[in-house]
Amino acid sequence: MTRYLLRRAPSALIVLWLASVLIFLVIRAIPGDAAAVLAGADAPPEVVAAIRHDLGLDLPVVSQYLHWLGGLFTGDLGRSYLIGGDIADLVGAGLGNTLTLTLAALVIAVLVALLLGPLWAATRNRWVDRALTAFHTAAVALPTFVTGVVLIIVCGVWFRVLPTGGVPPKGMFDRLDITAQYLVLPAVCLALPVAGVLTGFLAETLRAELRQDYITTVTAAGVRRREVVVRHALRGALPVVVTTLGLQTGSLLGGAVLVESIFSWPGLGLLVEQGITRRDYPVVQVLLILSVAVFVLVQLLTDVVHAYLDPRVRLGGKA
Amino acid sequence: MTAVLEDPVEPVEVAVPARPRVFARGKGLIGLVLVGVVVLAGLVGPLLVPWDPYAQLPDANLLGPSGAHLLGTDDLNRDVLARLLAGIRVDLLISFTAVPVGALIGCAVGALATVNNVLDVAVQRLFDVLLAFPQLILAIGLAAVIGPGTSSVMVVVVFIEIPVFGRLLRAAVLKVREAQYVTAAEVVGARKAHVLRTHVLPNSLEPVLVQLALSMSVAVFIEGAMSVLGIGVSPPEPSLGAVLKTALGYLDLNPLFAAGPLVVTAVLVLGFQLIAQAANAARGA
Amino acid sequence: MNVLPRRATLRALAAAALLLTTAACQSAVDAQTAPAGASAAPKSGGVAELGVNLDLVPANLFTNSNVSITTVVGLVYDSLVRYDRQKLEAKPRLATAWEQADGGSTLNITLRKGVKFHSGREFTSADVKFSLTSYADPKWNGQLAGTAKTITAIETPAPDKVVLKLAHPVSNLLDLLDTVPIIDSETAAEIGTGKKFVGTGAFKFDSWRPNTDLTFSRNDDYWGGKPYLDGVHVRVIPDAQSLAAAVKSGQVQLARGVGYRDAEAAEAAGGLKAIPLEGAELQAYVGINVSAPGLDDPKVRHAIAYALDKERIVKEVYRGKGYPVSLPWPRTSPAYDQELDNRFRRDVAKAKSLLAEHGAALPEVPLAYPGTDGVQANIAQIVQNNLAEVGIAVKLEPVDSTQFIKQLIGAQFPGLWVTNHSWAQFTPSTLTVSAYPFNAKRNSSHFSSPAYTAAADNAWKLPDATGAAATAAYKELSNQLLDGTFLAEIGVVFEQVVVRDGLQGVDWTRRRELDLSKAFLA
Repeated sequence: MTRYLLRRAPSALIVLWLASVLIFLVIRAIPGDAAAVLAGADAPPEVVAAIRHDLGLDLPVVSQYLHWLGGLFTGDLGRSYLIGGDIADLVGAGLGNTLTLTLAALVIAVLVALLLGPLWAATRNRWVDRALTAFHTAAVALPTFVTGVVLIIVCGVWFRVLPTGGVPPKGMFDRLDITAQYLVLPAVCLALPVAGVLTGFLAETLRAELRQDYITTVTAAGVRRREVVVRHALRGALPVVVTTLGLQTGSLLGGAVLVESIFSWPGLGLLVEQGITRRDYPVVQVLLILSVAVFVLVQLLTDVVHAYLDPRVRLGGKA
Repeated sequence: MTAVLEDPVEPVEVAVPARPRVFARGKGLIGLVLVGVVVLAGLVGPLLVPWDPYAQLPDANLLGPSGAHLLGTDDLNRDVLARLLAGIRVDLLISFTAVPVGALIGCAVGALATVNNVLDVAVQRLFDVLLAFPQLILAIGLAAVIGPGTSSVMVVVVFIEIPVFGRLLRAAVLKVREAQYVTAAEVVGARKAHVLRTHVLPNSLEPVLVQLALSMSVAVFIEGAMSVLGIGVSPPEPSLGAVLKTALGYLDLNPLFAAGPLVVTAVLVLGFQLIAQAANAARGA
Repeated sequence: MNVLPRRATLRALAAAALLLTTAACQSAVDAQTAPAGASAAPKSGGVAELGVNLDLVPANLFTNSNVSITTVVGLVYDSLVRYDRQKLEAKPRLATAWEQADGGSTLNITLRKGVKFHSGREFTSADVKFSLTSYADPKWNGQLAGTAKTITAIETPAPDKVVLKLAHPVSNLLDLLDTVPIIDSETAAEIGTGKKFVGTGAFKFDSWRPNTDLTFSRNDDYWGGKPYLDGVHVRVIPDAQSLAAAVKSGQVQLARGVGYRDAEAAEAAGGLKAIPLEGAELQAYVGINVSAPGLDDPKVRHAIAYALDKERIVKEVYRGKGYPVSLPWPRTSPAYDQELDNRFRRDVAKAKSLLAEHGAALPEVPLAYPGTDGVQANIAQIVQNNLAEVGIAVKLEPVDSTQFIKQLIGAQFPGLWVTNHSWAQFTPSTLTVSAYPFNAKRNSSHFSSPAYTAAADNAWKLPDATGAAATAAYKELSNQLLDGTFLAEIGVVFEQVVVRDGLQGVDWTRRRELDLSKAFLA
């Protein structure tokens, strides 16, 4: 296991490092000067220059990069130019909200998939099959901003049953029943594409499992089909679920930006948007590298877990 | 929304079944009809609506749907239906130019890189890095650099598609190379470029076509998402995302303002995905 | 062993439990619309919850540049005098009396006694000297720094006496005293980092969590009487829609930065009011680079002013919270002259004939606007439409806020731009010596004319801001502005605060600084 991890880790690190260089350079290329904004409308050039100096913007690009990279490793994420304050604090505040949202979405996605996947694989009813095909296609294809707006219109405007934006007035942990109501629309919206993909893969794998010899044996022994699916095939399909979830991290991260924007959920996605509109390089830099890091790490973790669940990958190198 | 098709788009070496018949049935047909309807609406629609999508009509601020304005008017007194139909054209323009351009560049880079091992590793790492960014986050980062606007959306879509198609073609090249007849050709002494042209490209055409359909839906998604985030096409130009973005500010006043762009975006994206799914299934048939 | 039925039972139980909890728990939507009490008698206690759409930029504390800054300054600091909001009449604050001497070149100020900073230190004349000197420091970008620099010496003969010596009499000296926040010299260095804001105001600053919130607690020793509120909690809610949702739901009792139409809709739903900050007027305008080809002809600039549909912009974009003008002056200004102000009423025919007189066809004119500002984006599109009607082709150029400010400072706009300005609600001369677009010596329009410079200087160097001489000077200034038209005014507009009925007694200064010293929760 450790050896497998060691074999995969270097390329992940290289990708991360290249991404950090790319992000740093690209962000530098953005027009607009944070110092000018900080200085305000009537500032003479010498004031702007002084602010540039304070922010370290007058240093050579390479030393700015090294300084930033060093900071990342020591946990010093730097200071925001315009939003203000320590980036670690900003990220910390947003991270909790984003994690809450993403975890809720993941739970919903997995529950939906575990419910519908086996049903789809086992069903012999044409209409159930069609309905699930339609659900699957729509969930996979429909953009989050479409489902999000539809949810807002239905649950927030036509039937005013659920809050359509923001976080609970008294914080996440004041009253969990209120928090759940604020969470449900954005989480469902974020979960839908993942749920769709997961359901599809699960059903597919289950169908393949059902064709395996041992299943035939079990079925011949008189065990009912539904039970076969749930007890036997589902276990065989587990690696697929894990891998699929890993592959969906990107869609979750990107989706979170949109969902947070549509539902005004004050997480990292909203922070990215804010950072970009305000040209707050340090914040954007950190958030971009963070999202790449999460993505790369989850991929790595997925591979490892997959290898653990499927010895062929771990031992054979190539399946 | 996701660009991952549940059936992995791996190229197959030999596949020459009579597939148009299989394809046209079911999903593929529905997909073609959906996309066709939207394309038709975009092409013909603007000719049928009496209003100019840019005209700001006097005393027509935020009117609800009526006989004169089927979808109402927006905050700048413009006919929403006219803007929606004109917006379809913008989205189609983005999809049908940026995606093929991205595909061409990606395929070229992906195929050519396989000729040299060092180059191959370098290009692979570059693709790794680009693919390590979630698509929408890559879009936001790029848009921050090049600023908003229709051309920016196109550039973003091109950038997103390059590694996707690059990977696809590289995989195709490697698969085909392992095939016996290619090894045979190489043994006989055929040049790499020749092998690429005569054996690899024809065989990788199918997965590329499947991915093209898929990427079209991604392009529509990226346009909409960027506009909703305020970094899409710039005003006063209409697009599906731009019309939706305006509607978002007035959902409490009239939720139906959002109906047009929502339905059209959904239909278009679904259509492209169904075509891709059907084409992919047909390949395996 | 039969697993499935057990699972199914479990599932059914779980579903039932979920249904039950949903039925039992309070609906978050209902909680939003719970009615507030409506008693009018002031009562003590409670913390007011405020929401703002922009966060603090401590380095800009003296610039009145955003809602957070004006909220902090209004709560924490005091000024020497404060203008009445209806007319330009200074009322005592930390200064109890002031009088001119030497024909306006000297001002003797008497200070209020027994005032303490939040740190407990006594407020004296040395603090006035420190604050005025700091304000003139270019580092802080004080908008009235030009006026502050005319003070050649600040004498402090006694702890409660300050004598200001001026290089020459200026008509807007009281504007400066109204504007400058009196800061504590011992903690001034920590203003820039946002760690400490120590003043003499009704509320003490406790903490600032960037992008999150600001907390303030009551100043029991406030010279104006102990405030009713125990404290103020300001939340930063950057998204306009969620800010509107927050005040509608009662999450905050007062919101600054809610969109005009959102505020209108919220008001219609009841339970809250959108209060325009009258007396703290803003002006929406179209800036014109007079060195651009075509725009160098005053006829073309007049044509632009005639082409603008100001009524429509005020009505549809600002939802009627304002009125169209041709000159910057609000109706309460001593410089307001109805006849002059009616000069540029929308007249498409006139605009066309002026363009015909100009002769040569205009090249396409670029129009810059802050791209992330929905209000300005809409104004830009209406202006584009208006100008197209008279035959001027306009290309819209969304610019992000950092670039926009940079280009405004550097006078780099290639053609037209739209944004807001302020400072016309003060003594008229303040506008022409301070506000960047109007500065006679250096402005973003590249406009210079000896007559305008002379008119601006005359109005500034008056010893008195009102009276016959002043009126004549203002009239000349207005005429110069109309003739030059280096920027075309659209309208006087108001920032509005959305306040729930439960929060009463909200007050503000002419710079949109919030005063909650008499506010209470009903």
